[in-house]
Amino acid sequence: MFRILLRKFSEVFLFLLFIMFVSFLFIRLAPGDPVLTILNVEELSVSQEQVEAMREEMGFNDPLFVQFGKWLLDFVRLDFGVSYSTGQPVMATLLRALPATAELTAGALLVMLLVSVPLGSLSALYRGRWIDSLSRMLAIVGAAVPSFWLGLILIDLLGVRFAHLPTMGRDGFLSLILPSLTLGLAISSVYVRLLRSSLLDSLSQEFVRSARARGLSEARIFWLHALRHSLPPVITVFGVSLGSLIGGVVVIEVLFAYPGIGKLVVDAIRQRDYPLIQGYILIMAIVVFVVNALVDLSYRYLNPEMQLKEKEAAR
Amino acid sequence: MILSIEELSIGSRDRTIVDGVSLAVREGEFMALVGQSGSGKSLLSQAIGQLLPPNLRASGKVLFEGADLLARSPREMRALRGKRISYIFQDYQGAFTPFRSIGAHFDEYQKVHGEKSRTARRDTAAEALESVGLDAALLRRYPFQLSGGQLQRAAIATALLLSPRLLIADEATTALDSVSAHRVLELLARKQRETGCAILFVTHDWRHVRRYANRLSVMQEGRIVESGGKHRILDHPQHEYTRKLIEAAPILGRSLRSGLGEEGQA
Amino acid sequence: MKTMFLRTRRIRPESKSGTRKSRLQAIVAALFVLLVASASVYAFGVLKHDPTLTDLRARLLGASALHPFGTDHLGRDVLTRLLLGGGQTLGYSLLALGAALIIGIPFGLIAGYKRGRIDRLFMRVADGFLAFPDTIVAIVLSGLLGAGIGNLVLAIVIVKWVSYARLVRSTVLSESQKDYVAVARTNGLSDARIMSRHLLPHIAGNVLVLASLDLGKIILLISSLSYIGLGAQPPTPEWGAMLNDSRPYFQSRPELMVYPGLAIVSTVLLANMLGDVLRDRFDVKKEAQP
Repeated sequence: MFRILLRKFSEVFLFLLFIMFVSFLFIRLAPGDPVLTILNVEELSVSQEQVEAMREEMGFNDPLFVQFGKWLLDFVRLDFGVSYSTGQPVMATLLRALPATAELTAGALLVMLLVSVPLGSLSALYRGRWIDSLSRMLAIVGAAVPSFWLGLILIDLLGVRFAHLPTMGRDGFLSLILPSLTLGLAISSVYVRLLRSSLLDSLSQEFVRSARARGLSEARIFWLHALRHSLPPVITVFGVSLGSLIGGVVVIEVLFAYPGIGKLVVDAIRQRDYPLIQGYILIMAIVVFVVNALVDLSYRYLNPEMQLKEKEAAR
Repeated sequence: MILSIEELSIGSRDRTIVDGVSLAVREGEFMALVGQSGSGKSLLSQAIGQLLPPNLRASGKVLFEGADLLARSPREMRALRGKRISYIFQDYQGAFTPFRSIGAHFDEYQKVHGEKSRTARRDTAAEALESVGLDAALLRRYPFQLSGGQLQRAAIATALLLSPRLLIADEATTALDSVSAHRVLELLARKQRETGCAILFVTHDWRHVRRYANRLSVMQEGRIVESGGKHRILDHPQHEYTRKLIEAAPILGRSLRSGLGEEGQA
Repeated sequence: MKTMFLRTRRIRPESKSGTRKSRLQAIVAALFVLLVASASVYAFGVLKHDPTLTDLRARLLGASALHPFGTDHLGRDVLTRLLLGGGQTLGYSLLALGAALIIGIPFGLIAGYKRGRIDRLFMRVADGFLAFPDTIVAIVLSGLLGAGIGNLVLAIVIVKWVSYARLVRSTVLSESQKDYVAVARTNGLSDARIMSRHLLPHIAGNVLVLASLDLGKIILLISSLSYIGLGAQPPTPEWGAMLNDSRPYFQSRPELMVYPGLAIVSTVLLANMLGDVLRDRFDVKKEAQP
């Protein structure tokens, strides 16, 4: 277990270092002088002396390898310096926006579960009936609908025409509804069909018949035996498609002007605020690593066979 | 008569698979239902407990202890299944849910049939495992940690846990190697003597049961072609199909086919 | 010898292809029509409606003979922009796919065929790429390189080539076990020839299926990132960018929201259907895809 995590971590870390190095090069070689960017934001007219002073202060006049060394040291200390656009420390800015994104993601996952578990289960239990056809239609269309368009439609319907849910910003529970609903619906189309096919596979297993022969109720068989047996493929796909979830968060946050780190990074990209972009990459790498570790752990919980095999292998 | 099947037919919308079969199992006897695969014998055994796949319908009468099972509601059937009638299937791997320990199965089983005390459930489970010759420590193991023979024994222990009056064994020995199969059959016969429950043993190979069965029914293409005492059928088969079936699976070098003076008496 | 081996490609039962073939043709035709229509709009429509020409006197017009889908907030003809947007989105998606294929296939072929150190090195690199979710890499790269459709395409290529290389590699690995490769080798064919003439045809099916299934995703990615301003920049008539452009006017003119959205949905639907039909045709198992 530990060794696997270590290997995963080193993979993520190496790639991270690579991206960091590339982004370092970009910062230094990018068109548009970051010093000018910063100074332009703060003042209207900039004198040559000011530019030079700033350069010296930020260490841009040092040789490149010295700069990289310094930068690497900061990187290890999780210090990404100061945002070009706001002048605030990058890490603090990102951490302040993180809870908002966490709320949105949790809300979206809740919506996803509330949609895909009942719909997936019903289409497995009533295979070939109208509910099954309905979920298949929804899945096909859902795979083709861009999340931001779904959001625009929901804004139009629930934010303007038939209800007046907040469509902008983050101000209490109500403002969370539309973004979570949009993102949740956008990602659930995959899971409905996946859960359905996985459940169909589980329900046709012998152990279900054995449980039935022992007089267990259908509800008990479904919830305690078949459903759990169906989860590993769903979790696998969740782990694999984590990236599209993170990307979805970015799009939805921009769409709803929701002040999370996704919105933050898009603004940063527009303003060429490289320190902020770097900080975002690092946080995402941590998120990806943690989620992957959780996925691995959940396999172990769902499948005791794996757990024991590893124990034996470790011996 | 503990089980009496009268004119039972099973079929889907466009096809009849079991056609007007009548069959009786007496109190405490070992009854064998023999037929080739596709003869409908497995479906027949599933119909008794209302375990048919949803696209199949059964009509006729299945009288268990005098009452018609086909007329029962699913809820009533659930209470009966496992408690009064229990099953053992061919696929011993499938007898237990893979991610649950053997003990969890015993526990859940007794719980849904009304045993409230956790310690009582645990004691009963340990006793049941020991009575089939397994160590009670296996309760903590997962199904994949047991061998095939052990699994089938554990499955028998669960099936007999609540002292059912009828045990339906659907090809229970087919997937086992011959030594394990032999042991399992011996175990079944012993448990039958101890508890007095009736056994309906469904198999495609009459050799599996020639030693233990009291009576035999031979099934072909959805009908029962011959029924009667084991010796009568194996030694003097009346029906052409029965004769073929016996000839198709000869035993080496023994004159008495029905297993008196069996070879390899262990 | 060579022709004999070439005939051992994929042999498919004839009966299967009847209706599917026509469905395949229909889908390909629909996608093609979209491309041609946008091209012809470009050729002829420019004279009538410049897609980027603003005319503030004609802003937010309803449907008319001159403007069948009306005009947007800058008085540009919506139909012209929609069709051109189709060419844009589809064109850039195909461009990204094509480039990813051109890079990915040779890498996969060589890694799978040569094995050994090259293969191990390749797998390291691929694992590194796959350790990081592709959407993020796309966002970040377009961030580092600056927002713009060209950089977005580049980002997609950088992300996607790995999956094709891996698919090709695994197919080649299993194909290399087969006798015909050994025979070709003992007959003294050069490695390049074996790869291009004997192995490539076998991997074509798998790659085509994966590519067509990716097409829809890439279209969605391009339009999503264009919507949030990281892809095509205004006044380019890209569907996502169009939606972003006219968002303030949705309440008074909801069709400005409906048309580009429906355009995206139907194109992605077509692309996905193409993928499904191809998958059936080449008999690729869902599990076989990375």
